Parts: sequence; C-alpha cells; structure tokens
Amino acid sequence: MKFTKLASATLLSLATISVSQAVILDVEITNLTQAQSFTPRLVIAHDDTVDAFEVGQPASSALAWLAEAGVIDDEQNADSSGANFEALLGPVDTDNGSNTWHRFGGLLAPKATLSYPFDTMDKPYLSLLSMLIPTNDAFVGMDSIEIPTEPGTYTYYLNAYDAGTELNDELNSARTDVVEAGTGNALGGYGVPGVAGGGAPTRIVDLGTGGTGVAAQVVNGEIEDGEDGPVHIHRNALGDTDSAAGASDLDSTVHRWLNPVARVVITVPAS
Amino acid sequence: MTNKIVKLSTLLMLSALLAACGDDGDTGPQGPAGPQGEAGVDGQDGADGADGQDGSNGQDGSNGNSAVYTVQITNLTYSQPFAPAAVILHESGFHSFSEGEPASMGIEIMAEGGDPSMVITEAMDSTDFLDAQNSGGILGPRSMGTELTLVVPELDADDLRLTVTTMLVNTNDAFTGLNAANVSNMAVGDTKTFMTVTWDAGTEENTETATTMPGPAASAAGGGGEAAGYDVVRDDLADAVRLHQGVVTSANANDPSREGCKRH
Repeated sequence: MKFTKLASATLLSLATISVSQAVILDVEITNLTQAQSFTPRLVIAHDDTVDAFEVGQPASSALAWLAEAGVIDDEQNADSSGANFEALLGPVDTDNGSNTWHRFGGLLAPKATLSYPFDTMDKPYLSLLSMLIPTNDAFVGMDSIEIPTEPGTYTYYLNAYDAGTELNDELNSARTDVVEAGTGNALGGYGVPGVAGGGAPTRIVDLGTGGTGVAAQVVNGEIEDGEDGPVHIHRNALGDTDSAAGASDLDSTVHRWLNPVARVVITVPAS
Repeated sequence: MTNKIVKLSTLLMLSALLAACGDDGDTGPQGPAGPQGEAGVDGQDGADGADGQDGSNGQDGSNGNSAVYTVQITNLTYSQPFAPAAVILHESGFHSFSEGEPASMGIEIMAEGGDPSMVITEAMDSTDFLDAQNSGGILGPRSMGTELTLVVPELDADDLRLTVTTMLVNTNDAFTGLNAANVSNMAVGDTKTFMTVTWDAGTEENTETATTMPGPAASAAGGGGEAAGYDVVRDDLADAVRLHQGVVTSANANDPSREGCKRH
C-alpha cells in the first residue's frame, strides 16, 4: 500500500521535475572486496582545474587525510580543518564554480552496494574517493571520468591506490605497546603510523596484535611514520597468519584484495 | 531538495520496471475457447461428385533464421589450469551468480570441484536460456581453447548475454568467466574480447591445503582429486560471491600442499 501511494505521488510531481534542467545522476557503488570496508565516499563533479589525485604525483594534504583517516571535511574531524577536501574544494553541496561535492556517509561493508542521487550542477567530470579500512593509506579512486550526457547506464571498475603518505606498517592502531618514533604519539589516524579502522563495525575479523611491522619495523616500541609516495597502484596488504606475532596485524587469508576493488554504475536519467 | 531527489529516483525505478514488463509479442497467451455452436439440421444425401484435380505443390516453409556464435577462451595465468567451462548464451534478466549473494549449488560445485554441468542445467531452467556448451576439457595455463559453437534464434540477437564460468583448479573455490556480458547486435564477422576477473564463490574457506583443492598442485603434495573438490559444507568467511583476493601461497610455505614452492 505504502509503495502504491508513493508511486502515484511521484507521477503527480513529474511535471515539476521535468522543468528543472539540473542533471541528477544516480551513482551506485559496490564494494567488491571480501574484507575491506569503504569509509564515507567523496563524490566530486568538477571541471579540468580540479584533480583529487593523480597517479605518479604526490598526494595533497586533503588526499592524505582521506587515505589515512577517511576524513573529508571539518564535520568529521575538526583537526583536519584547512587541510582537508572541504578546504580544497569549498562548501559542501554548493556550486563552487570549479566543482561541487558531497560526502555520502556511513561505511560501505564488503560486498555491499549503495546508490545515491548526485546533482552534478553541470560540471563535466566526476571523481570518487574512499579509504579502504583496515589499511594504512589505501584508497579506492575514480579519477576524473567524463560524465556521459546520453541517458543510459554506465559501468566503471575502480582500482585501489596507495596515497604514499604513510608506510604500510600494517600495525593495529589500537595497540598501546607501540608509539610513533620521535613524538611518542599513539598509533592511528592522520599523520601517525598504524592501520585505521580495525574497530569498524563492518570488520570481518578482529585485527591481530604483536606484529613487528611490514614496510616499517618496530624498534624499541617505536615505529617510523615515513612516506612511500607518489600516488601509485597499491601493492596490496601482505598480512600473515599469526594473529599474535609475525610481521603484520592483518590476516593474509582475509584482508588482501585484487583489483578492481569497486564497481561504480552511473545512471544518466532521460531528460 | 532531498525529497525531490528521492522522488526522481523512485520514478526512474518505476519506469525501468515498466519497460521490463514488455515482451516481443511472439508468445501471447492462448485465448479462451469459444462457445459451442448449435447443432445443424440433418441434410439429404447428395450424389457422388467427380474426382478432384491434383493440387499444386505447396510453397517452401520459412525456417527460423539462426545466429551462430563461436566462443574461445584463453588461459592467461601462469600456473592455474581451467576446469571445463560452462559457456551460456541467454537473454538479459538471467544471472548465474551475483556479487554479494550466496552462490547457487551449481556455482558451488563448479567452483570447488570443477564440474560446470549444473551451472548449465540451472541456466536451462530459466526462460531466458538460449544455448549452452560444456567445453568438456581442461584448458592448461598459458594456452588457448578450441572454438565452441553456439546457435540461437536470430530474433534473439538483439538482446543477447554471454555467461562463462570455469574453475581455477589450484584453488579452493575460485572461478573466472563472464557474468551476463552484453553481446547484443553483433554483425557477422564481428568479434568482442573480454578480460575477465576472478571471483571467490564464498562456499569454501581458502585453506589452500592439499586435501581441499582438486588440482595438480594439490596432487603433487599427496592430495587433490575428486575427494578434494566439492564439499557440501559452506565454511567461508561469508557465504557470498565476491572478487577473489588472490592465493596467498608463500605465506603457507610450510603447508603440506607445498603451495609456497610455486607461484600460482
């Protein structure tokens, strides 16, 4: 019954909608991995002056915040103010001239699909970014595809990239027996080592502890926060099969992936 | 604003549903039988008539035209033999499997043990089914398969999908292929090439041990064979088809399967 009512209401409002010229895309994203969740998705419609990431180029601070901590705007994390994508692009859901963007919230669990309406405000290109957790600084990215203008359904497959802003130590950021070298800061989040997101509600298994570090090693209870940029195709988590020791706190039989890691289906409505 | 957007997407879904309701009109339902007529009045017997002339030959009937397709699979892996492949042509609307959904029993048997015959019989149960072939043999690593021929009615060529499934046999339940790839409206002489991804059927834990994999790598380690193939138990991390994460191999170097000794 409820559905029938909604349908008739929709038909009645048809005339109003068709007057509007704005193209509202339907953006559907599927997480193709078995054990990596996607943080809130940043979707940007933009012109050719905006480039959220470029393979072979160093990451911006905004990309580092997204890839290390899943943070896009001030509302998610006030500490990121001035350095995040909100600072780079302008206010959310606004025609910022060169771009308009939206944060589609919530975690996208492995194998799950979500779709959203997105008003492109007539910008020609579309980019989409989301961090993979649990990783150090892996993200799934769609780099400036040309938005189709013909009504129809368009499918894209996306790869996982390494932002290059943090060494892939694969250490559980909930651990307290390791701190950042030099500063003594606790692990996790932006600017400090350790994989983020091990405690996410969508996790498939709990992270291990006791790893000695993969691309950086624990020395006297300290781990270095280095860089391995520029942005490049992620070489995958290594993991190991010992949840209490070994090199990694990730599980090699659980947390690894192969590209592509996401499928995006864009539907351009009939105008 | 938000409301408007929601309404629009609802409208789109509805129109898609409506479009999907149409068919090509070839197979309308049979109408109801008409009422029985009144019995006629008995007539008088007439005189015998003269023999009639021979009739002229009838016209040739029109055969339904067929469209013939050939499918060839190339194994690009270094050391993963492909089990016999199910190659299925069908109309849109049918899927042998869907990412995020539990695998059918046909997919499970194919992905764990290599036999694709139930994938084909499952497809044949669909009204969208057109034709299928079981490639029947192992396709070795770094080799090209023979061409398989499939035939469908030409009038179905405007809405044609290709599904292929074949197991990577040195794995627990990995398979590659195509999931309803669009091959509509190909002209005679056209070719289409697809690079395929590898799925995990989600029906068996990726233990990579000799006793759980049917292929030659497991046989070399004293396991393999039919006993190591299909198992009715579903014990993977999640009972859902997804992209495969790759075999770990070297991390299991001490495993009896000796998977760590080679690259698969």
